[in-house]
Amino acid sequence: MQSQIKHTQSQIKHIHQQLVSKHISCVDLVQQKLDLLKQNSNGSVNALLDTYALELAQAVDAKIAKGENIGLLEGIPFGVKDVFMLQGTYTTASSDFLKQYKSAYTASAIQKLLDAGAIPIVKENCDSFGHGSSNENTIFGAVKNAQDETLVAGGSSGGSAVNVAKDYTVFSIGGDTGGSVRQPAGYNGVYGLKPTYGRISRYGLMAYASSTDCVGPLAKSVEDIRIVLNTISGKDIKDQTTYDSSQIDETTLENASGIKAVGYFKNLLENDAMDPTIKADFMDSLEKLKAKGIQVKALDFLDADTLVSTYYILAMAETASNLSRLDGTNYGNRINAENLIESYAVTRSENFSEESKRRIVGGNQVLSQGFSDEIYLKSLAIRDKISADFEGFFQDVDIVLSPVTPGLPPKVGDSLKDPLAMYLSDAFTVGFSLGQLPTLTVPKGTATGIQITAAKTEDERVLQFAHLLEETL
Amino acid sequence: MNKVMTVDVLSSIKGATPSEAINKLFEVINKANLSTGDSVNNSNKSAVSVESLREDLVVGSSELEKQLIVENFPKEKNGYLVVAKVIEA
Repeated sequence: MQSQIKHTQSQIKHIHQQLVSKHISCVDLVQQKLDLLKQNSNGSVNALLDTYALELAQAVDAKIAKGENIGLLEGIPFGVKDVFMLQGTYTTASSDFLKQYKSAYTASAIQKLLDAGAIPIVKENCDSFGHGSSNENTIFGAVKNAQDETLVAGGSSGGSAVNVAKDYTVFSIGGDTGGSVRQPAGYNGVYGLKPTYGRISRYGLMAYASSTDCVGPLAKSVEDIRIVLNTISGKDIKDQTTYDSSQIDETTLENASGIKAVGYFKNLLENDAMDPTIKADFMDSLEKLKAKGIQVKALDFLDADTLVSTYYILAMAETASNLSRLDGTNYGNRINAENLIESYAVTRSENFSEESKRRIVGGNQVLSQGFSDEIYLKSLAIRDKISADFEGFFQDVDIVLSPVTPGLPPKVGDSLKDPLAMYLSDAFTVGFSLGQLPTLTVPKGTATGIQITAAKTEDERVLQFAHLLEETL
Repeated sequence: MNKVMTVDVLSSIKGATPSEAINKLFEVINKANLSTGDSVNNSNKSAVSVESLREDLVVGSSELEKQLIVENFPKEKNGYLVVAKVIEA
């Protein structure tokens, strides 16, 4: 039966129909996207998977020619952030360290998409090892915003957001540790989901901060986010933090009648760094929800400085630990020196970017004797408080809404000059990461969108509310 | 004996020094007020219970995977993979 939902036009379904009706061949579709990616001036591409993608497309066309049925995702071209393993392809993390590294295996989330017949066409530019919020920390050159090339694309999944925004990919798979899917989605005007931590396997995603790392889809409609989410979710023996989740049905998204109350963080909006237009537009969106009979409640949360500091301290500690494996011994760009210890030091000094080094050094400070009690354990305690606060909030409200960013995208070059300002620009995204909550960027309401968050494992509710929000704004 | 290690040694990064931007994050946490009763309970809800641990299985790599691992090794000479020089006092 044809769905009655009108506000979420699924590109996946549209292209599927075009393929099935032979309106377009899969080879032509993939070639068109490859041509667009090749010519693009936004710097969103690290590597094109042209030969591989065209082979897969030919197989889809052959199937259609034989009159066989194809699945919904079969033949749909998608992008992959260059931190995901895809066997036999370069997986560089946009770094000098892994410039020549080829994935030996395939990430679980990407494998599920391959199994469903989707076609990966590009490894996408991103901040090196996910370290950045502007996509300027990359050896492939800054990614430029889809709407204005003088501005940054955001990060770290900036290439993925731009490719979706410009229709170079139908959807892309990004990674979100502290906002890396949601913030570039907001900056480029697309949807981006950070699901509940553990809903999608992290196996084959290069580890940044393991306790908040999430795989997340970016797309142009809620419906496409739903389709991809359903495909890549699920328990995976290769990532023991994963959990079993139910498929989210399209028809259930139409019914948001269970959502009676939403909350927002009043104190974060009162921060001096808040752009007045984003604040005004956000408050206006709340008014429109009130007019629809939704109760709106102000919530008192931690201040922006504490949220950002807690997140970065824990993320730096985890990344210092995770990236200690990169020493040029078994893979990566080894630089030999007079002995082993010198080889490690020279290899790491020459191959990590300034931002990655800053975070590794900060992480090792955090974990060192004398610092760990005052800084690391205290940050863990604050994280526990954040989780407890969220549990309390969701006793009271069904959804928490917030802007995605306090400001507009900066100009290319500005964020590199002021790393602290870049960290503080994550004020609205990092709290939900620490809470491991499902959060979706909807490109409506403010210039950089609105985030919808629900309690843990309530990803369905987030998508339900996204429908309601689209109808309202 | 308590041996003090500098951040460059801890990080294996030559000339590394603490950054001003990150020191500011530390200052915020140092000054943060945790109300009474807030303490680390480390209620790590992502931890796996012993009963849920997967079986300890050895899974062999495919030929392609082995070939890619060899290809990624930084140095090869006469068919052997060459490790970094180990000279310790």
